Amino acid sequence: MKSRKSRGLPSKMPDNTAFKQQQLPAWRPHLTPRTVLSGFFTTGAFFLGMGILLILSAKSIKEIEITYTDICSNCSKLRENASNFYKECNCSIHFIIPEKMPGNVYMYYKLHNFYQNYHQYIMSRNNRQLLGEDITNVENCAPFQRTSNGIPIVPCGAIANSMFNDTILLSYYPNSSTRINVPLLSSDITWWTDKHVKFQNPKSSNLSSAFAGTAKPPYWRKPIYQLDQENPENNGFLNSDFIVWMRAAALPTFKKLYRRIHRIQQFADGLPAGNYSFDIAYNFPVTVFKGEKGIVLSTVTWSGGKNFFLGIAYTVTGAMTWLAAFSMMAVHLKLKKKQESLQH
Amino acid sequence: MQVSGMPLLKVPFKKQTKVVFEDDESGPNTRALTRARKEQERHLQANNKEFNEKFEYVNNAIRTSKYNFFTFLPLNLFEQFQRVANAYFLFLLVLQLIPQVSSLSWYTTVVPLVLVLSMTGVKDAIDDMYRHESDKQLNNQPVLVLVNGMIKEEKWMNIKVGDIIKLQNNDSVTADVLLLSSSEPCSLTYIETAELDGETNLKVRQALTVTSNLGDNLEKLNTFKGEVRCEPPNNKLDEFKGILIYENEKYPLDNEKMLLRGCTIRNTDWCYGLVIYAGHDTKLMQNSGKTIFKRTNIDHLMNVLVFWIFLFLAGMCCILAIGHGIWDNQKGYYFQIYLPQKEKFSAPGVSTFLIFWSYLIILNTVVPISLYVSVEIIRLGNSFYINWDRKMFYIPYNTPAQAHTTTLNEELGQIQYVFSDKTGTLTQNIMVFIKCSINGRSYGDVYDMTGQKMEITEETEKVDFSYNKLADPKFSFYDKSLAEAVKKGDIMVHLFFLSLSLCHTVMSEEKEEGELVYQAQSPDEEALVTAARNFGFVFHSRTSETITVIEMGVTKVYKLLAILDFNNVRKRMSVIVQTPKGKVILFCKGADTIIWELLHSTCRFLQDVTMEHLDEFAGDGLRTLAVAFRELDEETFQRWSRKHYEASISLEDREEKLGLVYEEIEKDMMLLGATAIEDKLQDGVPETITILSKANINLWVLTGDKQETAVNIAYACNMLSDDMDDVFIINAKDSSMVLQELRSARNKMKPGSLLETDPVTAFLTRAKRKNFIMPEEVATGSFGLVINGHSLAHALEKNMEVELLRIACMCKSVICCRVTPLQKAQVVELVKKYKQVVTLAIGDGANDVSMIKAAHIGVGLSGQEGMQAVLASDFSFAQFRFLQRLLLVHGRWSYLRMCKFLRYFFYKNFAFTLVHFWYGFFSGFSAQTIYDEWFIAFYNLVYTSLPVLAMTLFDQDVNDLWSLRFPELYEPGQYNLYFNKKEFVKCIIYGIYSSLVLFFVPYGSTYNSVQSSGKDISDYQSFALIVQTSLLVVATVQVGLETAYWTTVNQFFIWGSLILYFSLMFLLYSDGLCLLFPHTFRFLGTARNSLIQPQVWLTILLTVVLCVLPVAVYRFLQMELLPTKVDKVLRKIHECMKYPLPPPPRVRLRRTSSRRSAYAFAHQYGFGALITSGKNMKSRAKFGFGDNFSSYK
Repeated sequence: MKSRKSRGLPSKMPDNTAFKQQQLPAWRPHLTPRTVLSGFFTTGAFFLGMGILLILSAKSIKEIEITYTDICSNCSKLRENASNFYKECNCSIHFIIPEKMPGNVYMYYKLHNFYQNYHQYIMSRNNRQLLGEDITNVENCAPFQRTSNGIPIVPCGAIANSMFNDTILLSYYPNSSTRINVPLLSSDITWWTDKHVKFQNPKSSNLSSAFAGTAKPPYWRKPIYQLDQENPENNGFLNSDFIVWMRAAALPTFKKLYRRIHRIQQFADGLPAGNYSFDIAYNFPVTVFKGEKGIVLSTVTWSGGKNFFLGIAYTVTGAMTWLAAFSMMAVHLKLKKKQESLQH
Repeated sequence: MQVSGMPLLKVPFKKQTKVVFEDDESGPNTRALTRARKEQERHLQANNKEFNEKFEYVNNAIRTSKYNFFTFLPLNLFEQFQRVANAYFLFLLVLQLIPQVSSLSWYTTVVPLVLVLSMTGVKDAIDDMYRHESDKQLNNQPVLVLVNGMIKEEKWMNIKVGDIIKLQNNDSVTADVLLLSSSEPCSLTYIETAELDGETNLKVRQALTVTSNLGDNLEKLNTFKGEVRCEPPNNKLDEFKGILIYENEKYPLDNEKMLLRGCTIRNTDWCYGLVIYAGHDTKLMQNSGKTIFKRTNIDHLMNVLVFWIFLFLAGMCCILAIGHGIWDNQKGYYFQIYLPQKEKFSAPGVSTFLIFWSYLIILNTVVPISLYVSVEIIRLGNSFYINWDRKMFYIPYNTPAQAHTTTLNEELGQIQYVFSDKTGTLTQNIMVFIKCSINGRSYGDVYDMTGQKMEITEETEKVDFSYNKLADPKFSFYDKSLAEAVKKGDIMVHLFFLSLSLCHTVMSEEKEEGELVYQAQSPDEEALVTAARNFGFVFHSRTSETITVIEMGVTKVYKLLAILDFNNVRKRMSVIVQTPKGKVILFCKGADTIIWELLHSTCRFLQDVTMEHLDEFAGDGLRTLAVAFRELDEETFQRWSRKHYEASISLEDREEKLGLVYEEIEKDMMLLGATAIEDKLQDGVPETITILSKANINLWVLTGDKQETAVNIAYACNMLSDDMDDVFIINAKDSSMVLQELRSARNKMKPGSLLETDPVTAFLTRAKRKNFIMPEEVATGSFGLVINGHSLAHALEKNMEVELLRIACMCKSVICCRVTPLQKAQVVELVKKYKQVVTLAIGDGANDVSMIKAAHIGVGLSGQEGMQAVLASDFSFAQFRFLQRLLLVHGRWSYLRMCKFLRYFFYKNFAFTLVHFWYGFFSGFSAQTIYDEWFIAFYNLVYTSLPVLAMTLFDQDVNDLWSLRFPELYEPGQYNLYFNKKEFVKCIIYGIYSSLVLFFVPYGSTYNSVQSSGKDISDYQSFALIVQTSLLVVATVQVGLETAYWTTVNQFFIWGSLILYFSLMFLLYSDGLCLLFPHTFRFLGTARNSLIQPQVWLTILLTVVLCVLPVAVYRFLQMELLPTKVDKVLRKIHECMKYPLPPPPRVRLRRTSSRRSAYAFAHQYGFGALITSGKNMKSRAKFGFGDNFSSYK
């Protein structure tokens, strides 16, 4: 106020700042046909290039998918009846890998028509329990919170209860008489954060005592601390298969990483071409809900799995951009000519 | 101007209400009103507290604030939840708390709701604090009160009904008081009512004789036990009925004895008054109450659209609910082994019903709560720009432009009709004496050496009046020859100025030695008297019988024998005086045509010469008067005087009789000359009007002034011109004549339009009587319409109003003269009723208040005529020319910004919400959201609000100078081209398209895919992350595309909100937070694991490009193939921008010589009667004259 008076300005005169006078310095992008068109052409070129690259890389992926619901129809039938819960059912599938699968090969199980994203299903879990802090906490886990005796279910909730529990073994037949079990790794199949942060076992020297006083989910054959009898570290909430399952899928058809091929001996460079078989302990019922299940063996590239969508989408978008650019240019030039002829 | 009395009305931003008292639901105002309903009659007694307290009248404290510290929270919340949007969200919140329905966590609704409520709450609180402050200031003003025979100073708020207060000169009246006595003779009190009704001229109030005897005798006053019975409080400013019972006598009371709150005491040393109404009961406060809610077109449109959206929402929910029913039947039923849903399957309809509500919760964001808040913020911001604009600041008055209503900004960009007052709005209401013709010689022009007429500018040398000590320094005159003629002693020149200094009804006041202040009823008279004063004929003072003039330094006293006052029929006024030498002379001034008839035949030659000069003056748009005199012999006068006396005391037809008597003596006069007064236009008025008309804005002038003056001004500011094909003047007296004149005008403007075959005529005959929209009609040429108040009264009747409107809308300019304030409002209403247009009314006086309130937008000029118009207005500033900036710059930008905002906002929310819809088809219609719940909570209020806000606060397609240079740019707003139902549908379609892209591209790219490490990528959380990130990038890029003006703030907000999104996401998905609240923050690690994948980024890029490309192509082709008028102008501007802006072309003022305006009088009767009755003269007249002149009494 003082300075204003000293400058002899009226007291109510608004300040002369760029902001108040709406004169902030600014960049006014002015799109001319030239810039727009060149933008279109550049975008088109980039998309076309990227699209081809993506298609090529997706193409380089070797993938084998075997749906075994029908192949193992006996087992499928058996599992439709809940009374056969404890009956074992095994199923063996022979198949051929026509081409060598180089590099890291991953084994997935794939489910169709399984609504892991169903609202009530996806919410039916208790993250605090899975942190191992308070394992009797079964909040949010309806309808699998407690057994009929009121014992808390661990891990609680619909997701955990419906965990995929087939076991799959892969065998390689270098010749008709030899059978080699392909070494499979269950380690490092989860997100690091899941395995090391999100899931924690209760702090106790002995897992079984840590889980004492709790019940296993009704559909489980074994309690949580006995999921992996070979590797004691892979038990409790830290069981990799369990963690993978708990990361619910976005869509009703999904595949989840089951095992990695251990790259030793013959398999150091991946899976050689030849005869193979899956030996499946068929436990997981799918036909009851009209679902299907399968096994996928696949390599990966930088752009992920065998999915042509991105590649094709990029190519098509690129092509369309160019098409649009050419037609826009044609329109522009024609009008320009017309204007010029009018001027003359 | 006295404003200090009204600080309460200067509250800066009043939410949605223009006048503070309006929504005072719980304040004393309402209480007062409810009590007033019971109050049948007001009964009070002076100096009797116990008696008056029985009635519990409100005291003089006013409260315009709504809340106090304790009531703020409950009251404010209650108010806010009355709004549909807030109530809707409260409803959603309740829905969310029902576990069977809940599909979202409570915080997704609570966070935005709390933010919105608290923002509005803070704004309300600030508003209310201002009100508290102004109330406090007003209530604590000091006033003198009589307490137990002593004068004590008290605060305004402590004044009660029945108190006797003392008011002094220049005091603002504290409450509505009954005048008891004053310092002036007969207890006259002068008041200025500028703040009440806008009139600046003085008004007189007179006390009853019985009370005026009290004088300033405190003892008497203290024992005064007058009882007043009067009507209960009402809002009629010019009416008051009551009786005073004093010493067992009853005296009637009327408005002439009342001093109302808001008036200012003038020329009166002191006066005493009895408080009748206090505080909220005063007429001023009662008048302030009624305010109409003004809502903009876009508000209305928005309401319609929101309704549509609700339907759309309900439709979507229905589809999804039905889908769920089907899905349940076909799939869900079998899926029960993994998700038993016992209770649901008991009745299949139940789950469908529940899902409907669940989806309603999820999809609620199509009706975004933040829309309303953002709209308010944008309008507020744009209002601030108006307040801050230096180019709308008027230095001489120290007055900035002000937006009183902050909710109407974008309508400023849509105006099609402007209704303007004349006096004080187009003109300055300052009359300047600039030319005259004396005895056949014209004075006032300045010539250079070569004899060429020079234009008068600031630099032109003024005539030096220093020889005259009494000269008014503000007066300027440029022609030296006149001053020389005066000095030389030219007898005719002397007589001319003498007549000007004698023939008038001006009152003078000598404040200090030599400092004269004239108080005139009309500015014209003041200008004439001031001119005479400067040239050495100083009107010094008057008594009822004398006029003292200081002639060239010599004091002379003229006996005032008679004033032959002005009226509209006579169009002249005369005075008869006796000179100190004993001669009796009649001086007359009046309209030239009238005077011409009354001149002596010897003046013929002079008459012709003067006529030429008059034509010249009129051609310059000046107001002219002829001046004449006549010497009377004693005998003639005496004879006449007797007749005059008889006429003046006659009881019947006094007016007419007086008129006849006047005519007898006003004849055979000798012509002295003529005066020319300039009714000064405000600066830049013609230019502004030209620009407005280029912007396709119709300007109608509605004035209470006379036809001649109004037409004169219309010519002066280019509204009418001689180039026009015709100017119709409707001046008929009765209804059928008016209709006939209107019809013939229409026939001329659009031949054939009287026939049945004319499409518009046919339409009108078919149309229902009410609620139809008048089609546009084009006249065959350019026409003007001048309509008189009488005719207008007929034309505004139901059967003729459509006719009037048809003609008026075809004319280029419309001038309505002699209209009443009510008619002004009626004209505005007429246009509003039959034309779907946005109207603006601009005026400065109290008589404009009605039209200011009636129009969509009211603009008040804070000028000479008081504050009433400003207080009723939505926007105010000091000069008419600022209107072009208000409309073409601020209005246009506001409209543009608002439309951009709305288009973007609807798009953004549709794109956001509809993805859920598509996801429903893949998630068993289970009301599973596709985004992280925190994203839903933050999307509208945090992630996407700031960039669009920055755009809507700063965006300008072209700068202000170009906006003014190309008024065509204003047109899209008038036809509402930037946001209408069609544009809305476009936004929605685009939103739907975007949502499809946003869902299916990530769907395709993650389907059956894995991370490059073979791990999960198609899990729900990664998928949600990809979709929401794509959405956010698309939304941000879209803002970027819309932004035409990238300031640093825009850059900061656009990049900033992206950065904010990513950092918030990492925070929300961080170990610490997720481990602390594993249920609320479930997405642990998702960002880290997904965003390192190239395919995620490729997906995002693809989505963005697919969303943006079609728009780019569409816009490009539209610009190329179907460019609008505005596009072409913009292209032209972009080409021109390379070069500096050339100065705007000057509007040449065309003058015509065919018209004449001859008015320089007050609009009503003069003070003549008051002067001659001597009522208003102070007894201490210095220049006493003998009693021998008693013939006129």
